[in-house]
Amino acid sequence: MSGAVTNRVLLAVALALAAVYLFPLYWMYVTSLKTQSSIFAVPPEFLPGAPQWDNYATIWEVANIPRYIGNSLVIASGVTLITALIGSGCAYVLARYRNGWIDAALFAVLMLQVLPPSLMVTPIFVGFASVGLLEYPRFATILAFSAKTMPFFVILCRAAFMTVPRELEEAALVDGNSRVGAFFMIVLPLARNGLLISALLVFMNGFGEYVYSASIIADNRLQPASIGMTNFLQPNVVNWNAIMAFAATYVTPILAAFVLLQRQIVNGLTAGALK
Amino acid sequence: MTRILRSLRDGIGFDVMLVIIALSYLLVFAGLPLIYNVIISFQTVDVFSLGTLWHPNAGFDNYRAIFDDPLAGRVLWQTIVFTLGSVALQFTLGFALALFFHQNFTGATWIRGLFLAAWVMPGLVVGVLWNWLLSGDFGVINHLLESFGLIEDPVFWRSNVETSLYAVLIANIWYGTPFNMILLAVGLAAIPGDLYEAAELDGANAFQRFWTITLPMMRATIGAVLALGIIFTLQQFDLFAAITQGGPAGSSTVAQYWSWQLSFREFDFGRGAVISVLMIIVVLFVSLIYVRSTKAETQL
Repeated sequence: MSGAVTNRVLLAVALALAAVYLFPLYWMYVTSLKTQSSIFAVPPEFLPGAPQWDNYATIWEVANIPRYIGNSLVIASGVTLITALIGSGCAYVLARYRNGWIDAALFAVLMLQVLPPSLMVTPIFVGFASVGLLEYPRFATILAFSAKTMPFFVILCRAAFMTVPRELEEAALVDGNSRVGAFFMIVLPLARNGLLISALLVFMNGFGEYVYSASIIADNRLQPASIGMTNFLQPNVVNWNAIMAFAATYVTPILAAFVLLQRQIVNGLTAGALK
Repeated sequence: MTRILRSLRDGIGFDVMLVIIALSYLLVFAGLPLIYNVIISFQTVDVFSLGTLWHPNAGFDNYRAIFDDPLAGRVLWQTIVFTLGSVALQFTLGFALALFFHQNFTGATWIRGLFLAAWVMPGLVVGVLWNWLLSGDFGVINHLLESFGLIEDPVFWRSNVETSLYAVLIANIWYGTPFNMILLAVGLAAIPGDLYEAAELDGANAFQRFWTITLPMMRATIGAVLALGIIFTLQQFDLFAAITQGGPAGSSTVAQYWSWQLSFREFDFGRGAVISVLMIIVVLFVSLIYVRSTKAETQL
């Protein structure tokens, strides 16, 4: 086989694999545009008939989507703010030095990264109940979940800070900058892209958070969209077009951000996970 | 006083402060709960004693109750099946895809990246999506399996005690494969190309090259990916909540879901904490192996 033909065959196989793999996403969007009767057609209709855009308008009202998404945004923003404010500095120091103390701190961060939220939520909930934090359920969720995202963020950002040449920071110090000045004027701007991508990943995590919200937030009006979906799922278990419209409304912003920033996200993730 | 302030602004104090702030946060919201978890596993914590910091002592009662529970053996077995099944299949599929996309062709990197779209989705949405795909009467998976002649009657994946665990397992394999693929792809890219050229000159075929070069060179990466796979699978919760909720009759309950159910459905936080303590020991043990293997790699 000549090079060009091999190239084309491999490309065709790759596209076929991606199509098979991404079929569930396609099915979500197709189902969300079907009528109530056509979702139960046998055999299933793989191409949509007339798209029912009304499904989205209806679900927006009926399932209280604005309120749920709003709460998800509050939780995601809070988590990102705490994680980025506290985590960036720590990541910078862990990237700058290499000694026994730093190794120990790094080890602690790595070990805390692996704790499953569904197991940590029991002691956190009982502890929060005794100090009265459950009175502010969204804030409590933000505090608890930030402890989960912070190790992840520190590891990713440490990789970003390692790419900043040490000489540039030293030159700034020689020019009369203080450490604080050099950090804000030189190091942060140079590591900006890595920090922003890491923060975006934390935001996405917070936007889809489920375990802590489901355990801590009892008040319907304060729950995020992940709980909103389960609330909606139970009594409407036959309205799959409406459920899929809810799901599509919820994930489309995330998928759009991913498609736009695919290369940076993939690079950021791989840099953090193995180094 | 001024010396401390100066050190904070312009010396080692700056570094120490940055690390201390982050580590204190983690100490309060992750370290203390870890210790508190052990304490409440020896206490009676229910809705009546909840609002207090200290609860009635229970000795080993919670531990005894868990070990005597008829569900315990099944949950342990289901946790093992779910974890090993997920890791084995995610790894195999991920490795196959990584090897495929490692070949040089137009668009390889971009198409490979598309697979990660699944990985950025919230677990709960992935669960709801698979709940619909695996639906018994009108699920598209059943339809496809029937039209390929693989099954004759629809399988009621979620509501049959024989298949409910596999319904979640299938969803989890779909969810986790891309992450395995991308980590293994990074490992593959790090192998020097001239090794393969030399082997080819020596007459080694593709299979021999895989066994003698790819696998040995990837050993550290494979170890890290398998350990991470176990860690992430033991964190999986959302898919259970969205697909089977551990049922029917506990047939798809795994340890991390059982712990949550005991705490937040039966409000027996003491027993929930027992499973939490035991599982966290397992997770920390696995991550110790992971941290050691990545450390060995970065020091090369």
